[in-house]
Amino acid sequence: MRRVGVLSGTLLLLAGLVLAQGFGDKPPVEMAPVGNVQVKAGGSKNVSLDFRIGSEFHINSHTPKSPLLIPTVLKLNGPEQVTVADLKYPAGQDVSFPFSPDEKLSVYSGDFTVDAVVKTAANVPPGTYPVSGTLRFQACDHSACYPPRSIPVQFQVTVVK
Amino acid sequence: MLASGKYLDRTRKHGPMKLVGDVQGVPAPDFTLPSLDGRRVKLSDFRGKAVLLNFWATWCPPCKVEMPWFEDLQKQYADDGLVVLGVAMDDSEPATIAKFASDLGVNYQVLLGTDKVSDDYGDVQYLPTTFYIARDGTIVDKMTGLLDRKEIENAVKKTLNTTYKPASSPLNQADASVKEAVAAKATSAKDANR
Repeated sequence: MRRVGVLSGTLLLLAGLVLAQGFGDKPPVEMAPVGNVQVKAGGSKNVSLDFRIGSEFHINSHTPKSPLLIPTVLKLNGPEQVTVADLKYPAGQDVSFPFSPDEKLSVYSGDFTVDAVVKTAANVPPGTYPVSGTLRFQACDHSACYPPRSIPVQFQVTVVK
Repeated sequence: MLASGKYLDRTRKHGPMKLVGDVQGVPAPDFTLPSLDGRRVKLSDFRGKAVLLNFWATWCPPCKVEMPWFEDLQKQYADDGLVVLGVAMDDSEPATIAKFASDLGVNYQVLLGTDKVSDDYGDVQYLPTTFYIARDGTIVDKMTGLLDRKEIENAVKKTLNTTYKPASSPLNQADASVKEAVAAKATSAKDANR
């Protein structure tokens, strides 16, 4: 029983530290691992990039309602043999927050997915090609906001004959 | 919403974890920043006034809730010696920041923030963050996140009523940084716990 009390106290202390330091080193948005994307040379393949937002946060959608708000933007750079195009962002949820009950913001919260299309030229040799980039977002919680931040986005494309 | 208190924070430029927070009684770091109307504004020029120093940004919706309240409080308590200074931690153009402030009815001085000032004040990441600075340049309180107007007004009253410290006070060193003073506090607390 005493150990439970000590453990609870420790957890409360840790929770307090995490709350007090904001999201610290852990970003409020994380990317789910992407399985190997296999595509035929000269072909194309849809790829879904899944992201999870920490439960206490929301981020602006790709199309916030004010030009002053910072949109969520995915930027990807592949090698010259692989093109990533046709990014499709989900629509934002229109939500009012306690800090501004009369105003609706277009945000993502929970999980969201950005779809893209991977394309290769017919003359691309078989092999594995890394694609990397960043997801830039700006997060807030129920009472305050953090500066814009970027997290790395990476996956691999395997080109087959 | 976070109350001020001791917590671990990783400063943006200095790498290692440092103990920051609990800045009450610490001298506010002095700075000189450009204002939206092109002047250079130095914090220590307001010695003798109580200063509400609010860090905000145009991309921060909760910040814009507080700003009209600050404007009202500045008018209400100006004769008692209150000065409100806004520090925009923003990449937007000054004209954009000025329009944003003007649309909210803000007439108090808005300054253009820098990373150095943010670092000097303990790496201000969470906006809005407001420091309440007594007439002698000592930080009376730090509040982060959107508070209700009553809490803000209470903090203003407390700051206005904070006793002026004698010039010989070691806390009356205007150019000592928050981080240095807090580090000294942390060391002495650590020693006391041994």
